[in-house]
Amino acid sequence: MSEVLLAALRLSMDLAGRTVLDGVALTADAGEVVAVVGANGAGKTTLLRACAGLLPQATGDLTLGGVDPRQTAPERLAALRAYAPQHPTSAWDYTLTELGSLAASPEAFHHWRERFGLSASAARRLSELSGGERKVAHLSLTFSALGDAFGKVLLLDEPTTALDLCRAELVARAIRASAQAGAAVLVATHDLAWARSCDRVLVLSEGRLVAAGPPDTALTAELVRATWGGS
Amino acid sequence: MNRPAGTLALAALLLALLALVALACGSAGLGWGTNGELLMLRLPRVLAALAAGLALGLGGANQQGVFRNPLADPGLTGVFGGALLGIALLLAAATEFTWQHRWALPTAAFAGALATSTALVWLGRGRSTSKLLLTGLGLNAFTAAGTLLIAARFPEARDTLINGAAGDWLGSATLELAGLPILGCLLAALLLLTQASALDRLALGEDMAFCLGTDVARTRLSGVLLTALAAAAAVCLVGQVAFIGLLAPHLARALVGPRHRAMLPLAGLLGAGLLLLADTLGRSLWTQTPISAAAMTALLGAPAFVWIASRRHE
Repeated sequence: MSEVLLAALRLSMDLAGRTVLDGVALTADAGEVVAVVGANGAGKTTLLRACAGLLPQATGDLTLGGVDPRQTAPERLAALRAYAPQHPTSAWDYTLTELGSLAASPEAFHHWRERFGLSASAARRLSELSGGERKVAHLSLTFSALGDAFGKVLLLDEPTTALDLCRAELVARAIRASAQAGAAVLVATHDLAWARSCDRVLVLSEGRLVAAGPPDTALTAELVRATWGGS
Repeated sequence: MNRPAGTLALAALLLALLALVALACGSAGLGWGTNGELLMLRLPRVLAALAAGLALGLGGANQQGVFRNPLADPGLTGVFGGALLGIALLLAAATEFTWQHRWALPTAAFAGALATSTALVWLGRGRSTSKLLLTGLGLNAFTAAGTLLIAARFPEARDTLINGAAGDWLGSATLELAGLPILGCLLAALLLLTQASALDRLALGEDMAFCLGTDVARTRLSGVLLTALAAAAAVCLVGQVAFIGLLAPHLARALVGPRHRAMLPLAGLLGAGLLLLADTLGRSLWTQTPISAAAMTALLGAPAFVWIASRRHE
């Protein structure tokens, strides 16, 4: 029996008068990779941000690593989960060394960036990297922030967007490895083929959960047609 | 590894030399006077310029860090204007009371700076760079107009306020009057230095900083309070002066990189150096008609502002 690391019930969120999350329920167990799919604007990013504790105004029940992330101090929370935004940015043009020094463990940061195929000199600046390289540089920060993955929650918002096939595969392997090391991983993605390789899939549509379960039962042909249109 | 430390040490050394030169420079040529009486005359002015410049450099660096915006500067975003308006309102309401109590002016300046600093955060928040700057520009124009209005309506406060708006108060610095604001500058500077690691992470966006364990709300609140304190204390010493808070952090970032642990103290030292240099040049180059520190700063800073803006790519 694996441990539930992330659980939400009736999770809702209104933004500027619009309901962006509407009574979502989910769980993610240790060792599990859960894909969150849905059309643009379905609420994937909002769901991940709410789980990360970034939306204190979200309503409903939410438990992450035994605490409510909306009511937990940032420092404590950082020891329980790591998060990667869809569009990572940096106001200043950090070098890879400087970016790594923001991680809890700079060594872990450099370990992860090499694992993601970013072996550029540590003196290179973010502005000198390609879009994909920058993305994995920021992902390295997230993975190194997780530290020992056991019992932690990893929340990734479209981690393979902007990556070439080879790097996307490296990131997919790292996600699987983190789960095997005992993390619960929640990944928002548009890559339905990859989502089918996950342990479970949550399908969002207009803020509501329309299907959840193992890929074969959640991602049926009818549902895919209904959610994304087309024939 | 040693480069930031070396640069900081060099900057401190140059600043000490500049302070000596500033103490020796004046309308009577180089020298301290026979019994050092000129030294005692210039000391308050030099100390005030150093303290205000330190607070301005650090305040600018903090505002840029909190807003993740390299064009933020308390002098341009209305925080100084707010401090001056606070002083103007107090002078208009209770002139005698103001001059009888040494804490009155700095307190009014702090209230005014805090009001604009808070308004800036509330109105200018969001992802857009231009929104913040436009909000600041509006606040700056509004507070400047308010100060001028009061200067026009209250003749007894007029000269003081016009000089303040022109950034020309350094010349009237005495150890008695400047003591409290100088302490305010030093306190603000010390507290601003503690924000370094939070500002480093804030560069990655508020979401990412929060997820790495930074208390973003507290950092933002400290930013508002400390920028207001630094601005209020500096305005009490110099009056309205822009561009130091913009220029010093930029130079510091170019010299030691964007990490705030080295960049913040260097921005403070460079701010102190720039303001002291501007003031010393302004009163030494034209001894008959000295130019205010703010005018000299703008003369140097405005072209730099244009250069930074033109290089910025969004």
